[in-house]
Amino acid sequence: MPDPTTHPAPAHDTSHEHVGVMRRVYAIVLILVVLFVSGRAIQYLIVNLLVPYSPPEQITRIPSRLTEEVWKTKPDRFLGSMLAENPRAPLSHYHQIQGWFQPDPVNDCTRSGCHGPMPHSNRKETRAFLNMHATSLHCGVCHMESATEPLPLAWYNLRTGRKTEAPALLQAYGWLISEEGQAQLAEPTYQFQQRLIKLLSKAADQAAGDPTIRRLAEAVAGPRFSSPTFTGIVQTVLERLPSHFRGEYGAKLALLDERGNPLLGHPNTEATVQRFLDLRDELSPTAQVELLAKVHPQRRPDTLRCSDCHTRDSTMITLGTVGYPPERILTLQEGWIYTAIEHNKAGRPLYLPGFVAPRDEEGAATNPDLEVVPAPEP
Amino acid sequence: MRSPWTRTERSRRAVSGLLLAGLLALGCMPQWAQADDPDNCLLCHQYRGLGRYVPEQDAIHLYFTSPDYQHARLGAHARIACTDCHERSEVSVIPHKPVSKVDCTKTCHLHNVSGVARQFSHREADRWLSLGVHNPDTLAQLEFTNGPLLNEGQAYCLYCHDEPLFRDPADIIPEYDEFSPTATERCDVCHADQIPIDTRFQVRHVASRLVHARRPLEMAQTCSVCHSDMLIRETYELQDASVRYTSTYHGKAALLGELDTADCISCHVWPGENAHAIRAARDPESITHPTNKADSCRSVNCHPGADASIGQAAVHLDLPSLTGIEIILAVAFIIFTLMTFGPSLVLTVLELFQIVIGRHVEGEERMRQLTLNVLRHPEGRERLRRITPGQRWQHWILALLFAALVVTGFPMKFADQTWSRYVIESLGGLYNARQIHHYAGTLLVFGFLAHLAHVMWGMFVQARRTGPDGKPVGVVRAVMALPMFVGPKDVLKMVQMLGYLMGLRKKPPTFGRFTIDQKFGYLGVFWGTMVLGVTGFLLWDTQISSRFVDGRIFNLALIAHTYEAFLAVIHVGILHTCNVVFAPTVFPFSPATLTGDTPVTRLHEMHSEMVIEVAKDIGVAVPPEVEHA
Repeated sequence: MPDPTTHPAPAHDTSHEHVGVMRRVYAIVLILVVLFVSGRAIQYLIVNLLVPYSPPEQITRIPSRLTEEVWKTKPDRFLGSMLAENPRAPLSHYHQIQGWFQPDPVNDCTRSGCHGPMPHSNRKETRAFLNMHATSLHCGVCHMESATEPLPLAWYNLRTGRKTEAPALLQAYGWLISEEGQAQLAEPTYQFQQRLIKLLSKAADQAAGDPTIRRLAEAVAGPRFSSPTFTGIVQTVLERLPSHFRGEYGAKLALLDERGNPLLGHPNTEATVQRFLDLRDELSPTAQVELLAKVHPQRRPDTLRCSDCHTRDSTMITLGTVGYPPERILTLQEGWIYTAIEHNKAGRPLYLPGFVAPRDEEGAATNPDLEVVPAPEP
Repeated sequence: MRSPWTRTERSRRAVSGLLLAGLLALGCMPQWAQADDPDNCLLCHQYRGLGRYVPEQDAIHLYFTSPDYQHARLGAHARIACTDCHERSEVSVIPHKPVSKVDCTKTCHLHNVSGVARQFSHREADRWLSLGVHNPDTLAQLEFTNGPLLNEGQAYCLYCHDEPLFRDPADIIPEYDEFSPTATERCDVCHADQIPIDTRFQVRHVASRLVHARRPLEMAQTCSVCHSDMLIRETYELQDASVRYTSTYHGKAALLGELDTADCISCHVWPGENAHAIRAARDPESITHPTNKADSCRSVNCHPGADASIGQAAVHLDLPSLTGIEIILAVAFIIFTLMTFGPSLVLTVLELFQIVIGRHVEGEERMRQLTLNVLRHPEGRERLRRITPGQRWQHWILALLFAALVVTGFPMKFADQTWSRYVIESLGGLYNARQIHHYAGTLLVFGFLAHLAHVMWGMFVQARRTGPDGKPVGVVRAVMALPMFVGPKDVLKMVQMLGYLMGLRKKPPTFGRFTIDQKFGYLGVFWGTMVLGVTGFLLWDTQISSRFVDGRIFNLALIAHTYEAFLAVIHVGILHTCNVVFAPTVFPFSPATLTGDTPVTRLHEMHSEMVIEVAKDIGVAVPPEVEHA
């Protein structure tokens, strides 16, 4: 504000009137602000005295029951859990969850409200295993028709729904075990170290801040790239990474549509889906079936079976093309998983721990104390 | 004792230690994985999505087990195999047979690195439970508002317990982070081969058990599952424990991230007694029984040496449930707040309203011209500086201390607000915030005393002077001559001002150096500093003050402290800020407390008596109509 003693205002001009109007408007705004803030303050005083306090969310906002809705809830909605050093899992799940679930808000099948995030519930033998895949595969991979085989797949980002590159964890491991990576590890460079830190940090972020992967990144960042300590740490990282292939990548695999975009639902069915949801209780069984067929125009008549993908020969998913490293492919398509599926297909139960016991290269159990129960014939 | 290392050395060692720790931890993991999951259950159970949904219960049955828990040995149960809790015959086949619920009191085998497995059972905890209010019969009958929280047959232990995790040892031993990589090396000299022990695991285990199993906030979360559930509260006629806890200082501290404040167990279990044996307050053996309550506060971990009267303080100062003199004081303070803040608010708003309606006072322009004439005079400008340099310094010291007190005090009052935790964490934690609060409060009180002494001395000197009548001025006249003295004339002017602002009078009253609201503001600081100072000192260390005052005085002190602080904040934060920063007559800022110069508009509108007096003194012509007005 200019000093009126040195800058006296002119006797009369239009700008002066304009200032006058502005001054009035400003005064009105100030009155409203003062009244609002004062009102809130006085309201607080009275409410604070008369109305019983509400329990603070920092204490009560924790997931005590694991419902379908809770499963879909983002972790930052649980203020209590976010503030806890060791947040509790929902009570009925005794074991530590160590982080939260990665909800998939862009999957049309669950977003529509028709299907839950754990949709498989029929066969006891397979339901939990099938649901397990829901953390890394879109429903359409197994349940939607594709014109080409093996299936055209790509990763999609769980936040944006857009096509994305392979998860950083798979990239990191694939690179480290590749010839190029091994050669670089023999003579590490600064760029090698930086690339590994970047990939591991990204992998930790994608795995909802997984503290173990984060620690790996920090350990890699610690020593000089030329030191033996660094090489030792990278070797340890190589040993540890496979135990993090758990489908927590912040991304899932989905079929690609004809334009090369991830297919996150049946195309052009939003109105039909809404119609079905509105009318489903009133429809006759026949009408329901008819409408459901319209809701799922691209539904695969014969859903993919475990052995369609978990096999090296004529597999529906070429894991290598979506960034899986060879060792992981081996586990998924040739190792004990393949054997277990074959076993299950034959109707034979799997007995633990002998079946999945860690074994050495010659096939002997590495832990001699394990009780190996021979599998009975079906 | 502080470490003798220099800061640089400590940092260097910490960094290298961290790397070593990383290597050790990483290097050990594969072996652990093999040892602690002998049945290889994690091959499947490490997948977070392994589970199924049961629509009838709207419940997800999740079979995920964190592999990190086993691999990194994050808790005591990392040493036991899955089949120690789950029946081997039921889980050794895929798909698993119907699985029996885990019996927490069954005997398990703790595997040691020495190869010796020891038998262990939680049976003793069950016995303790039966002694207390959380006895198995009660727990078995719990019904929750939103349906059962546990699956049928699951152990009621799960209401309070999940897979036990070690707390961060650095919570308990602050130096742990710095020393941990090398601390166990010395132990391993003997314990690696001769007396094999997994020393890192043991250190973390023991450190974790030196304190309660959970941080205070997490403990409150655990208890709130039942004690904040509406149905349970109604069934057992309980108050909401989360509300009760967060109405204590301890609860607020927990909300603000404090780790060593009292949690539910601290006050509800005798020191050294098993935490499972919580007794009802009506039980004479309970620590919360009125006859024992003081001993809870006076335990060696909390307020040792406090007088028994500390037990009379209302730990849960939950205002709506208060009775007696506490509620009377609270109501009195609210009325007092309304009676003081209310009129000031009305005056401020009405003054702004005059601008909105464009009201002008007759002769305003002439008064403005006179003010400008006085300001053009070198002596006039000097004499119209209403606030002396000493007063300006005092003002800014007061402002600084006030701000420090608000920033450190209000997060404690509104501890459940997200911003509070942010502020406290920005200050380095609650301990730092409290230190700042205490010392800023002390400085404010000393400043107040110094100001009081200064005023008294001035008054004393004035009283001894000879007046125009040739007699000593005397104390009464000296008091009345104080610039901030509020006399009957001021009260009359306030009424006149109100009448003018409400359109009942044509002209506003005139003021000298200070207006009536400035005088009341000054008195408010006087009153507020005394109230906040006295109550603040009482509350600073209840351990000591309990020896001098009754415990119930703490309740009153807390009520007075919190309400007076609130009054001060709304007065300064809303009205004072509006008047000296945002008011159109001074915006963007009145320089009065920086340079001493009051804006011209404010001078001629609010301090016209002073302007006329100075004009006369320095010989600037005062138009008769102005003087008359």
